Amino acid sequence: MGRGRPIHLSLMPTDLESVEILGGEEEVSLLEILDHVLNSGVVIHGSLVISLAGVDLVYLGLNVVLTSVETALSNLQIEEKRKK
Amino acid sequence: MSRVLAYCGFQLAPEIALPAIGVNAQPVQLMSSGDLGLLWSEVEWPFAPDQMQRSALEFHAVVRHVFTQTAVIPFRLLSVFEDQQALRAFVAENQERFLADLERLKGFVQMECVVYPAPGQAQAGSSSGKAYLEKKAVAMRSSEGFAQAVRGAVAHLSHEVRVREGKNGTRIFVLVERDRESDFREAVSAVPLPEYLSRRISGPWPAAEFLSDQVKAPEIVNQNIAGQKIAGAK
Repeated sequence: MGRGRPIHLSLMPTDLESVEILGGEEEVSLLEILDHVLNSGVVIHGSLVISLAGVDLVYLGLNVVLTSVETALSNLQIEEKRKK
Repeated sequence: MSRVLAYCGFQLAPEIALPAIGVNAQPVQLMSSGDLGLLWSEVEWPFAPDQMQRSALEFHAVVRHVFTQTAVIPFRLLSVFEDQQALRAFVAENQERFLADLERLKGFVQMECVVYPAPGQAQAGSSSGKAYLEKKAVAMRSSEGFAQAVRGAVAHLSHEVRVREGKNGTRIFVLVERDRESDFREAVSAVPLPEYLSRRISGPWPAAEFLSDQVKAPEIVNQNIAGQKIAGAK
């Protein structure tokens, strides 16, 4: 099974508002939620978790690699810089 | 194609209110086996990449709905089963282990503290490779020291502590009694931290870091998962 192209999670400020609506947690960031739903909990066969240089990546059985939360954070920072 | 998306497992109790809607507005359904309940939805698979973020938040909302009431064992988003039959076989195979972990973690939540280089620190030392590495080494030693100090500061609150070193910092996981989250925040906030490091405290989270290995990555025999026939995977 080959690896597919990475999916980049583009994190926009408006999404932080969504977090509050959905979770009612004012102090929980979107990144923390993404990190937990992707990297914490039960892993069933068919999806593997690999770690590259300390960065967790989720490798799916459907030829998809999600970017790590840390990469997503970089994307967010780039996005914020562009807006300034 | 549709797949069965598992959200979380928990000990069944009549007083627990369940969420109605899950990922992609799909109904959340309950599968029970003995005292174990497991929430799931039938979803279109794979998720659309541009909907991934929303799916993650909706997934989180379902898990959190139950977690605010009782201990849960969360699945990872994107853990999908071929069909209900595969999920039922999984539940039957792992019921005892799940219930044992839920019993052990009952009444606890996971609190976290991440310590990482303060913003601007990485750039400040980038004038030479040597200076950068020296600064990084100092930060790493300080992070380790901070983690030790946190262990001491939360000793009266913690049932168990785990520390994981990552690329961008040190992550400290603490198993804390439910309703003592603010005590944890107060204790960790009071631990001195060098100015070149920052801390971020979060929680409560489901105690996923403290699951037994067999529950975290269960062995499965003769099941269809994520579109793959896994025969004799043990």
